[in-house]
Amino acid sequence: MSEEVDGASSTEGVEQYAIGISFGNSNSSIAHLSADGKAEVIANEEGDRLIPSFLSYVDGEEFHGTQAKAQLVRNSRNTIGYFRDYLGKDFKSIDPTPCHGSAHPQENASTVAFSIQDTESETPNTVSVSEITTRHLRRLKQSASDFSGKAVTSAVIAIPTDASEAQTEALADAAENAQLNVLQFISEPIAALMAYDSRGDHKDKLVVVADLGGNRSDIAVVASRGGMYSILAAAHDYELGGVKLDQVLVDHFAKEFIKKHKIDPRDNERSLAKLKLEAEAVKKALSLSASATLSVESLAEGFDFRSTVNRTRYELLAGKVFQSFTRLIEEAVKKADLDLLDIEEVILSGGTAHTPKIAQNLKSLFSEHTTVFAPSTSPTAINPAFLAATGAAIQASLIQEFEKEDIEQSTHPMVTVTPHIPNAIGIEIEAQEGTSSFEVVIPQDSAVPVRKTKVMQSLSDGEMVLRVCEGQRKIKTTKPEPRSKAETNGEEDSDEDSDVEDEEDVRERIWEAIKPLGEITARVKKGLKVEVTVNVGADLSISITARELGAKTGVRGNIEKPEVTENGQA
Amino acid sequence: PPKPEGWKGDPGNPNFRALGTLSPPVMRKIEPAGPHFLAFARRKRHGRTFSEDERI
Repeated sequence: MSEEVDGASSTEGVEQYAIGISFGNSNSSIAHLSADGKAEVIANEEGDRLIPSFLSYVDGEEFHGTQAKAQLVRNSRNTIGYFRDYLGKDFKSIDPTPCHGSAHPQENASTVAFSIQDTESETPNTVSVSEITTRHLRRLKQSASDFSGKAVTSAVIAIPTDASEAQTEALADAAENAQLNVLQFISEPIAALMAYDSRGDHKDKLVVVADLGGNRSDIAVVASRGGMYSILAAAHDYELGGVKLDQVLVDHFAKEFIKKHKIDPRDNERSLAKLKLEAEAVKKALSLSASATLSVESLAEGFDFRSTVNRTRYELLAGKVFQSFTRLIEEAVKKADLDLLDIEEVILSGGTAHTPKIAQNLKSLFSEHTTVFAPSTSPTAINPAFLAATGAAIQASLIQEFEKEDIEQSTHPMVTVTPHIPNAIGIEIEAQEGTSSFEVVIPQDSAVPVRKTKVMQSLSDGEMVLRVCEGQRKIKTTKPEPRSKAETNGEEDSDEDSDVEDEEDVRERIWEAIKPLGEITARVKKGLKVEVTVNVGADLSISITARELGAKTGVRGNIEKPEVTENGQA
Repeated sequence: PPKPEGWKGDPGNPNFRALGTLSPPVMRKIEPAGPHFLAFARRKRHGRTFSEDERI
């Protein structure tokens, strides 16, 4: 039915087969929807589901993934890795640090390129980062095609939340050159969230998605409302990641080696490359077991090296790095103007999320009601390395039948930029004499139009007034049993109070009604269930319906939309 | 829910009294992903309401 004049992609008449791709600086994954409708990560021909984003050339032959990464030791100058973040950027703005151990990025006509021997000839070629990306995507596409026996035509690619337009365009072009039609780019944290939500949970919640990668970490605070996601805040650290943890182990083992042989393996490029690869393997082993062994043949000057490290020791050594993860996440929550108590779920994504200590630290950072989804803290956690690819595959399956124009129109800001209500809407209830509590019907940061229903139990007989209000969450701090202040002398007892406190305050979330919107009356009997529906229209008018549960009729009322104010000022 | 005393509804609707309007909203971007977003986008592009959409 499509009449697209799009010769290059040649998708006409061919059955669409879309996959989800997570394309990272360190690793990539591919996923598709299996025959029974479940998103499933595809292994490449080497059996890897986590495919290192590496390409290496030996005598004109191209190696990819794990095989290419192994070439970092012997053939580092013709091995390319960590190139995702260079795409669509000019040379001056990139950080070449991750590439010290592999082919170095170079300036080439305002973009980034690598000089490598990718043919059998001795003279190196200058290959742009875009071409490298094309080759990488071509291999990923081929692996997916080989696995399923169907030709992959298109893909949804997960990208970081801070990817610029130039970067996504460059990625789309690189994919086009690999005969891969990018249906849509979705952001990595949303893909991770979708992977979890595809298990059938769409309740309203505030979620922190922490994507802990190899060379960078990205945090997003997301409001999930009725299955729709709005990012409230994002934080990035372009230096924090698994590589930092590898470095801790590299230093630890190097010191041991120096003690034995008086040689620093970090001084020799090849020794360092060997040590780095093995340290990464040790780190992965320590996420699963309590101790791990490192053994490198001929680490430096012909000496073999073998050593064991246990998890406790590692956690001690890497304590500072672990804390920076926690701090980054705390910072993101603060940036979203939220309290740690507001967060209902923490989703750890990315390879580094396997580390048990990071998840444990977060478990103690957040309240006990917060679920931390990581392999070590939740039995139902999904493998964090595959979340982005899984989410992308789900999205791909949802839109693969759509026409390009449809997708473009739907993702246009005209559609996606929508008013969100700043406060929660709910019902004020008199709990006891004089005090009232607030029951949330529609949570804050919901996009309009929205409709929600809540069932409440009436506590007494007679004619009732239901008061619909806007409500706000407050943090109530209760001081613990006051300890005798005898020991502190009265002098200089000013601002430093908080530092002296030994016992922590008890903090809790309470809801307060801040602005009444309307009242509705109904005659009810005690113990009866009353169903209240609040509907906020796209123009911010509200209609409220209250009825007895199961009854056909009820009482309803409408509140008009607010006066139009210029530029949204009150 | 508390009890009324001399409570009067709006003209035309004895059971309801409007007290205020919604606070000004915040413009935010919804992430264009997931089945619920697609349904939302469909409604918005065709100018349908929830109930109209349900009927189709």
